[in-house]
Amino acid sequence: MTSEEIKKIVTEKFPDKLKEAKIFGFEPTFIVEKDSLLDVCLFVKESKELAFDLLSCMSGADYPDRFEMVYLLFSFSRKHKMSLKVQLPKDNPEVESATAVWKGADWYEREIAELFGIKFKNHPDLRPLLLPEDWNEGYPLRKDWTGKDFLKMPDVK
Amino acid sequence: MNQEISEIYTEEFFVNMGPQHPSTHGVLRLLLKMDGEVVLDMVPHVGYLHRSMEKIAENRTYYQYIPYTDRIDYVSAMFCNQAFCMAMEKLANVPVPERAEYIRIIMVELNRIASHLIWLGTFSLDLGAITPFLYCFREREKILDLFEMVCGQRMTFNYMRVGGVSRDITPEFIPMAKEFIKYFLPRVDEYEDILTNNPIFLSRTKGVGLLDQKTAIENGVTGPSLRGTGLKCDLRKDEPYSVYDKFNFDIPTGETSDVWDRYMVRIQEMRESAKIVLQALESLPEGPIKTKISAVFKPPAGEVYLRIEAPRGEMGFYIVSDGSPKPYRLKIRTGSFSNLTVLPIISRGWKIADVVAIFGSLDVVLPEVDR
Repeated sequence: MTSEEIKKIVTEKFPDKLKEAKIFGFEPTFIVEKDSLLDVCLFVKESKELAFDLLSCMSGADYPDRFEMVYLLFSFSRKHKMSLKVQLPKDNPEVESATAVWKGADWYEREIAELFGIKFKNHPDLRPLLLPEDWNEGYPLRKDWTGKDFLKMPDVK
Repeated sequence: MNQEISEIYTEEFFVNMGPQHPSTHGVLRLLLKMDGEVVLDMVPHVGYLHRSMEKIAENRTYYQYIPYTDRIDYVSAMFCNQAFCMAMEKLANVPVPERAEYIRIIMVELNRIASHLIWLGTFSLDLGAITPFLYCFREREKILDLFEMVCGQRMTFNYMRVGGVSRDITPEFIPMAKEFIKYFLPRVDEYEDILTNNPIFLSRTKGVGLLDQKTAIENGVTGPSLRGTGLKCDLRKDEPYSVYDKFNFDIPTGETSDVWDRYMVRIQEMRESAKIVLQALESLPEGPIKTKISAVFKPPAGEVYLRIEAPRGEMGFYIVSDGSPKPYRLKIRTGSFSNLTVLPIISRGWKIADVVAIFGSLDVVLPEVDR
């Protein structure tokens, strides 16, 4: 299915919950409202025409005014792709866990939770994944993080 | 005395496997809940090799980061180079000369063979067969010689650049590579003679560690482990990147999705890769090897996600650029990370010795999991 056709199906189903964005190589991209994330995820996975069965990658990003979660989806049966984004507020970022839809989200969310400090509601087991057990120096992938060994490289012009 | 013996009873117990364990090929700790010799449950602990690759990326320019990508998966470093450079090319819309694309494909496919050879050697070593290990490293040595000839490095190549490759292949390379392929294909038959129908090997692998297709896709398993379940999926065919559409090759798949199938898929993949290398060597076009771009590389602001078919599954780079010479955010998606999540599910109910075989069959490289 082409990206235009996917866009049409998804926007028809959720006319007022989506905004468009762009990720090169994974079009179409939508910014989903936080509360309807699980509905959209379930729809794109269960829908017969879309059938996005693989959560290819999941990532977070820290922007000056918001956190952003990115879900990159691929369908093995239909060979098409799309991506979803959710924007979260800076204070107390919290979002529904996608493990209810794709089990593969489990470790991605554990990683994001410890590195960005984003909370996932209804996640089965949100233990830290990569950092040491006694880590108490904050969330390293946040832009304002500085550890005691962190050395900033000089800017390049 | 007799009373003490009668007080002994059977119970479930925990076994700690790793982090230093000969069969984990890296540093992985598995906590096993056992009933006698049978695994009831398992919790993998990773992170021992976490080098904060993603944070480092935000603090380096794009060019400076290319050598770091080698260290993500040092067994198949060419793929990490290629994925990163292709992501940059996609974001900044940099064309790649055709000769560079061909050279890239020759290199990555040779690297795929080298990577599968390491896997085959160590996997058979885990199962108690020492001969294939020596054979595999003998052949891998010849591939490393070829790499050394081209870029001076044997493991961490730093060979590809945004817009091409760092240096052209030498005139001696092509006959040597052709000779290697001619030498290598009968060697694969040799491995098969030793392993494929060996009764001991069969009893350790046939029907062990079944991974059904639905569980695999649910958990994000990709690469040869997923093809072992019988699904014909390969990014080189599904969405042909680079110049893969010009080559003729097959995607081997398994049937019963056990350890033996995953072994067989990789064995056949080595032959297919050899086929691709030979075709690329024969049709290698003349021309430039690199597009000239500015010394300070500043891609336009935007986001890109690009994935390629690495030996361990999809390898992808999600990069957010804000128009400066450093990435704003860089996320690395690796095959091993998702493939490892499925290990507890397919190990349940098998004996502890089978865990070694099952883990080996997933071909997990730990630095790639931790990054």
